[in-house]
Amino acid sequence: MKGIVKAFPGVIANNHVNLSVKAGEIHALLGENGAGKTTLMNILYGLYQADSGSVYWKGEKVHFHSPLDAIAAGIGMVHQHFTLIPTMTVLQNIILGLKEKGYPFIKITEITESIQALAKRYGLAVDVKKRVCELSVGEQQRVEILKALYRGAELLVLDEPTAVLTPQETCEFFEVLRRLKSEGHAVILITHRMAEIMAISDRVTILRDGSDLAVMNTQDTDPASLAKLMIGSELPERPVIEPHKGDAAPLLELKDIVVKKERISRLAISLQVYPGEIVGIAGVDGNGQKELAEVICGILSASQGTIQYDGQDITKATVYQRFRRGIAYISDDRHHDGLVLDMNLRQNLMLRKYKLSPYTKHGCLNRNKMDEFSSSCIGKYQIKPPSPGIKMRLLSGGNQQKAILAREISEEAKLIVACQPTRGLDIGATMQVRSILAEQRNRGAGILLISADLDEILSLSDRIAVLFRGQLMGVLDNGAELKTETIGSMMGGRPLAEGETTYA
Amino acid sequence: MRKYTVQVARALVYTGLTLAVATLLILGAGASPLQCAGVFIRGIFGSLNGFAEVLVKAAPLMLAGLGISIGFRSGFFNIGAEGQMYMGAIAATVVAMWPVQMPSWIHVTLAMAAAFLAGGLWAFIPGILKAKFGISEIINTLMLNYIAFDLTGILIRGVLQDSTDYLPQSPALGPELAGILAPTRLHAGFLLALLMVLIVWWLMEHTPTGFELQVVGSNKRAARCLGINVMKSIVIASCLGGGLAGIAGAGELLGIQHRLLEGLVGGSGYTAILVALLGRNNPWGVLAASIGFAALQVGANTMQRQMGIPAAIVSILTGFIVILLLCDALILKLIEKRKVEGAA
Amino acid sequence: MEQIFTLAFLTSFLSAAVSTAIPLAYASMGEIYSEKAGILNIGLEANMLAGAFCSFAVAYTSGSLWMGLLGGIVGGLAVCMLHAFISVRLAQNQTICGIALNIFLLGISSYFLKILVSNNPAFPQVATFPKLAIPGLSAIPLIGEALFNQNILVYILYLLIGMSQVLLKHTQWGNSLTAVGEHPRAADTVGIRVYRTQYLAAAINGMLGGMSGAYMVLAQLGVFTENMTAGRGYIALAVVIFGRREPIRAALAALLFGAAECMQFRMQALGIDLPAQFMNMLPYLITMIALLGSIGKQRDPESLGKPYIRDAR
Repeated sequence: MKGIVKAFPGVIANNHVNLSVKAGEIHALLGENGAGKTTLMNILYGLYQADSGSVYWKGEKVHFHSPLDAIAAGIGMVHQHFTLIPTMTVLQNIILGLKEKGYPFIKITEITESIQALAKRYGLAVDVKKRVCELSVGEQQRVEILKALYRGAELLVLDEPTAVLTPQETCEFFEVLRRLKSEGHAVILITHRMAEIMAISDRVTILRDGSDLAVMNTQDTDPASLAKLMIGSELPERPVIEPHKGDAAPLLELKDIVVKKERISRLAISLQVYPGEIVGIAGVDGNGQKELAEVICGILSASQGTIQYDGQDITKATVYQRFRRGIAYISDDRHHDGLVLDMNLRQNLMLRKYKLSPYTKHGCLNRNKMDEFSSSCIGKYQIKPPSPGIKMRLLSGGNQQKAILAREISEEAKLIVACQPTRGLDIGATMQVRSILAEQRNRGAGILLISADLDEILSLSDRIAVLFRGQLMGVLDNGAELKTETIGSMMGGRPLAEGETTYA
Repeated sequence: MRKYTVQVARALVYTGLTLAVATLLILGAGASPLQCAGVFIRGIFGSLNGFAEVLVKAAPLMLAGLGISIGFRSGFFNIGAEGQMYMGAIAATVVAMWPVQMPSWIHVTLAMAAAFLAGGLWAFIPGILKAKFGISEIINTLMLNYIAFDLTGILIRGVLQDSTDYLPQSPALGPELAGILAPTRLHAGFLLALLMVLIVWWLMEHTPTGFELQVVGSNKRAARCLGINVMKSIVIASCLGGGLAGIAGAGELLGIQHRLLEGLVGGSGYTAILVALLGRNNPWGVLAASIGFAALQVGANTMQRQMGIPAAIVSILTGFIVILLLCDALILKLIEKRKVEGAA
Repeated sequence: MEQIFTLAFLTSFLSAAVSTAIPLAYASMGEIYSEKAGILNIGLEANMLAGAFCSFAVAYTSGSLWMGLLGGIVGGLAVCMLHAFISVRLAQNQTICGIALNIFLLGISSYFLKILVSNNPAFPQVATFPKLAIPGLSAIPLIGEALFNQNILVYILYLLIGMSQVLLKHTQWGNSLTAVGEHPRAADTVGIRVYRTQYLAAAINGMLGGMSGAYMVLAQLGVFTENMTAGRGYIALAVVIFGRREPIRAALAALLFGAAECMQFRMQALGIDLPAQFMNMLPYLITMIALLGSIGKQRDPESLGKPYIRDAR
């Protein structure tokens, strides 16, 4: 790919980017969120059309008008958000859109055999008769890879594939990648995790602010210099965590909470959070984290158990009542759960307090007071652009997140439930969010930090709990000597044994 | 400045195309477009009666359109105004037939209140089904339109039938909405509609409830996560919308027809959807759009009476304008392209 | 009362029910394709009116029933493609567009009818497709007459129902269509042309809707009258829901609704004192109950009614 340029309204996502990948290599594409990795890959795959620049495939200049062209050429892509159809079977998903022998009819036995042969060759075991909605995330990923291979992909693009895997699953996944490599396939691995790049890739291309910065052999580099290249400056300092303030009554206490969704138990947990501490919830995405956050905030109701908060039973309290008592919620899904994108910044900042005095008086909204409040939020959190009338949709991810923090966190917040608070943010915004959380902890708020990013958990938490399939595998005190392998195996489903030493 | 010219060009395209279609239709019917235009305009502005008739026709569209616009802004896609109008009319008939001596204005007020309740309840059914079970309100409100229509048919052949007559209609009703511009048919229902415009505007823009409805309308999931009672909001939006449509139906009954009959609503519930759309779900926009549609109807009726132009021209132009509006993006693009070519 | 049990009565009742059900079945068959592909076309009434009017006008001027049928198909197709263009290409609200088209077609068809009538001293009329009894099958007692002594359009429908059932349920093409309605981006990433598939589904919907209208003119009445579909387009929408978007189920649902409509005329003959409006109401009530009963079982295609915008970030 040479000189690729792609602009979206307001941003240049790719600015003369070059990328070259050889057959039989694993090529890592490294860059921060918003550096233009996904856009570049969507252009390669024919989903977006580049404004200028060209793509060369096996030495020839090509132009992919649609994914169909890219697939025909031998390019396969596994998106970060899987593109499988949940109501269809694995087999239907794998052959979707193909015109095979017998078209338009489907020769189920023949196709099943060939899929199974393929699965065996690459070590991707999966039951083709099951519906996709019955599969685990790891299995779905295997289906996605099989889907690409079944179409004869020689180059596989994998967008953040390990985000949904445990450390152990990641190891198995790397085995699959090595097997692909040995069969002569090329792989582009999009990631921002240094350790993985060092472990698996042959070469690495670094993207920053839409431009490619460097290409290097993985052997010739180290994580620190890669990080420096990716961010463009030294890593910002970690927020200061003051020593834990000691024992008080627990602020939040979950007792034998069970949450059921579609009659399946998604969460069964007991947990305490004390004032002035950060409890980190580690675990792979989709193991009950969201349910945990929502049951505390009152969005989901618990089918069993009780929630004690600040000396009271809030098991039956509504979302609004819990907010009034000081439970703030930072959701992992800004666009759907946290913000109303079609409303403006002022309205979004008011979403929690609009019906409180002085914003509502005698049943009427008070515009002036609302303006005052939003201006103070914008100033305090440096939200850009600082215009309260702007549509929320037009703000960057970092500023959207700041707006949420501004709205949720105030002096009254005693418990902050932060679910993946830095997901999708660049390093600068990430650090800002983390230091705000640390500040709140130091002020005396209790914080439940749910994150799939183990580094984040390790750098901020006082205590760490590991969640697997809706159950706690154990709770550890954080410390410099904590063994990450222990947490890793707990994330994979091994409960902490009694009396087990977790420190090196 | 540039934006301004685009706006003007767009307005010209809209009026130009609409007039062109109207001209073609008139020519097709074998009449002279110019003469028709004169008749059309005189039909509306030529007499007090014509002008009053526009407002008479605007009232139900305005009320029902307001109700629908509340629903649209709250994410409740109500295409059931037609049925809600019939239910309102049925309830008003029942109350108006109630043989109790009381001052007429109290009787009318009670009948209107009953209409509001009945329309609201009729919309509550799809509202609660959507809020509680997530069943699409589009199909349900549509089905309820027909059910309400058939129910009207059953009642005016049964318990509500005029016993002195064989026609399927209710007896002439005593209580009526007072005329406000004799000798025209303009009645107090129009003032009520204006009042409702004001109330709905205040509700949506200046109260916490209106704010909540808008949040629910743009993002239900966020509303729920932020502690807004989504179910309550949907129920409020549907009942309020249905209630306004109910009043619209009762207004037609107590202000114009004075009898419950099968053709009482005659499709204005559907036209009101387009009124809400054209008014961009804004109360003042609904006010303007309803008067516009009513003027079209009155003018076209005059053309039919005096020039023999089929009245179907109203439906054609109504549909055409909305289709144009849906093609707005395309029209803007064409204008922009023209300008670029013109500049080059 | 015992009259209801006579074979002759049941035979003629069934025959009428099938006849009434055919336009519903045609229109709902088309809508199934459209909804599977994610387009909710509430403008079936417009499709049918266009089909009815065009088939009538063409058959009347050309004197050929087959030309008339073709005219009806083209008429329905044109209306549906406009709906598809607005909802797919311009990504506008599909329901509003459907309602606007319904109103537009109601106006334009009665306008042209007026012109057609004013140019003719006698009210224009066309012949209808003759009945073709299928030897053997039509002699089956009770159902033979109803199912196998019908006109050619009915037999075409039988074929279409069978084909649609296989096409939608058991072919790769059916899977692609479902994928477009469920998850257009996923379909796009495997190279299914989302827009083309949606246009194609809309075209099928338009043609079948056109045939539905044409059937009413060319097989049932021989004339076009103002607003002759009288809400059948909306009943067809109900048929689709009640038939769970499956061709054979939908055909049976159409038959049920057709029977309900026929019942109202016969009830008076039988001396049952129920207002005709009550039977009229039944299909709508049944559909609402069916929707209630489908909670947790049947679900709409995930992106039904939502436009797919490819370049959206």
